[in-house]
Amino acid sequence: MYSKKVVIINKTGLHARPASEFVGAASKFKSDITVNKLDKDGNVSKSCPAKSIVFLLTLGLSKGTQIELSAEGSDEEEAVETLAALIESGFGDI
Amino acid sequence: MILQGIAVSKGVVTGRAFVYEPFKPEITEHIINKEDIPESIKRYQEITALAGQELSTLRDKMKEIDEDKAGIFQAHQDILNDSAMGDEILSLIQTEYYSPEFAIETVYEKFIQILSSMDDDIIRERCADLKDVKNRILRLWMGVTSKDLSQIEEPAVVFAKDLLPSDTATLNKEKVLAIVTEVGGNTSHSAIIARSYEIPALLGIPGVMNEISEGDSIIVDALEGKLIISPSPKEAEAYIKKQKEYQDYMQNLKEYQGIEPYTKDGQRVSVCLNIGSVTDEELASAVFTDGVGLFRSEFLFMSGKELPSENQQFEVYKKAAETYGDRQVILRTLDIGGDKTLECMELPKEDNPFLGCRALRLCFRKTDLFKTQLRAALRAAVYGNLAIMFPMVGSMEDITKAKGCLQEAKDELKAEGIPYNEHIKVGIMIEIPAIALMADIIAKEVDFASIGTNDLCQYLMAVDRLNPDVAVYYQSYHPAMFKLISFVSEAFQKERKTLGICGEMGGDPMAAMVFLGLGIKKLSMVAPSIAGVKKMITKIDMVTAKAIAEKVIHMSTAFEIEEYLKTEFEKFM
Repeated sequence: MYSKKVVIINKTGLHARPASEFVGAASKFKSDITVNKLDKDGNVSKSCPAKSIVFLLTLGLSKGTQIELSAEGSDEEEAVETLAALIESGFGDI
Repeated sequence: MILQGIAVSKGVVTGRAFVYEPFKPEITEHIINKEDIPESIKRYQEITALAGQELSTLRDKMKEIDEDKAGIFQAHQDILNDSAMGDEILSLIQTEYYSPEFAIETVYEKFIQILSSMDDDIIRERCADLKDVKNRILRLWMGVTSKDLSQIEEPAVVFAKDLLPSDTATLNKEKVLAIVTEVGGNTSHSAIIARSYEIPALLGIPGVMNEISEGDSIIVDALEGKLIISPSPKEAEAYIKKQKEYQDYMQNLKEYQGIEPYTKDGQRVSVCLNIGSVTDEELASAVFTDGVGLFRSEFLFMSGKELPSENQQFEVYKKAAETYGDRQVILRTLDIGGDKTLECMELPKEDNPFLGCRALRLCFRKTDLFKTQLRAALRAAVYGNLAIMFPMVGSMEDITKAKGCLQEAKDELKAEGIPYNEHIKVGIMIEIPAIALMADIIAKEVDFASIGTNDLCQYLMAVDRLNPDVAVYYQSYHPAMFKLISFVSEAFQKERKTLGICGEMGGDPMAAMVFLGLGIKKLSMVAPSIAGVKKMITKIDMVTAKAIAEKVIHMSTAFEIEEYLKTEFEKFM
């Protein structure tokens, strides 16, 4: 298992186009990937599979939210690093 | 019949109704036999594939027209292919023996419910996408062919319970005059698409589908949020005029709003904005204005139960100053009393509030309040070209006293070591006739002045501008107004001090034409007036403007002046 924390920086948060891009990127990996929404104390408040756009929306990930990406499988490290970089890039929506 | 809706995309339109009732699935609980499960799953997968094909076709068709809108169908495909939702649907079929259509309905509705309860507008609006995809799958399930808005033949006003994203994306914008729906609001898909196509839209009129029949005559006033069904000939006529005016207005906006205003003979006129808050919407006009001619500070005091602190005020003034950079932002100090009251401060009831303890007079009574505002302004003026303007100045003593308060505020800040702008520019509002008549003397005492035509008119005409019984006596085109303004303008020109106009007349192109002729080169107005005034400026030259002004100040009635200005105006506009 490999995991990493990132903060959502793009303006509209993880919905609409950025969410689609995120799910599209996640679906390319073999590993099971989970998105954990963290509260202000760093505890997990909600989780969902990273490959589901609808579940991702239910997390309500707006700008400034901290999340933890974790993956389990043959390409877990690459998956988490790629997705973290995508989120940190702001999806061209800053 | 007149109904009220939310105008989410502006415009005025008259036309016939087109009633759009797309397929609406009605699914009831249905349990299948265990042996039918494999067949059901196979059918579910076939239908999903079919929906995917439909979406691909739509997306490709859309890509040729509008890349962005094609994205809607991509988003629908993402939903359709959502593995987690798909797994839930399959699991309901396999373990709970739900029929596929009932499983689809159940799972989609579950997520629609979850998303609709979230406190984020953007996410809530995604429910429409889920509903849209669900309807598509269920329609295919029932073997119903699609019906969409590309099939409208004659231009019409489209009425629907709700438009789903795919409806708004496929609509033929040449044929849709306006959109009216029962549900939806400012951030719904229908609203976004209507605005991007510039189609007027009124949303959120509950029950409208029961009131309307195909072919009804319709007026959509998406300026005031009004829908008129089967209007009287008189209403229809009035609206055809309003529609034309609005089209002209929009045309002006496109052509003139962004230009730099020079007269035909090259005189640069300063066109500024009146603002009453610092929302992004208000500040958006900063890109095509020369500054803020009137920044009303009252909103800060009117919005809460408590007086705004110095820091709260500082942040707001700083934001305005920074937005405009080098361009001047004129902050008018608190103008309360008269017709404006406060929740956060009790003011005495007066018999004649307009002649009472308002604005500067009130500030002199409550010097703490006044000085807090002055301190905030002085501090904010470090971050931009912020100037201070005092309202309701009636005498030289008023000016001296107000300046005294300002000096005290400066001294305090200095003693406290807080950065402030020592050289802040100080001006006054000219709205009491007495001070207008003192213009030659007071022009020496202030850095600038701005004429508040609304109050000047009410005080000059001795008319309460809020009393409808005397509205006919409120004549802003009264020759006395122009004579007095002419006198003030001459005095300020002599002292080489800036004089502006910031009342409603500043945004009235006909009156503004006279002001130019009187030598006033700074006009401040609300955002919607900018394009019209800029247009006037580009069409006139100073010689003509002077000749017009010269004639006007020698006329004897407001009526005569208005008729004359209309004729002159039409000559060159």
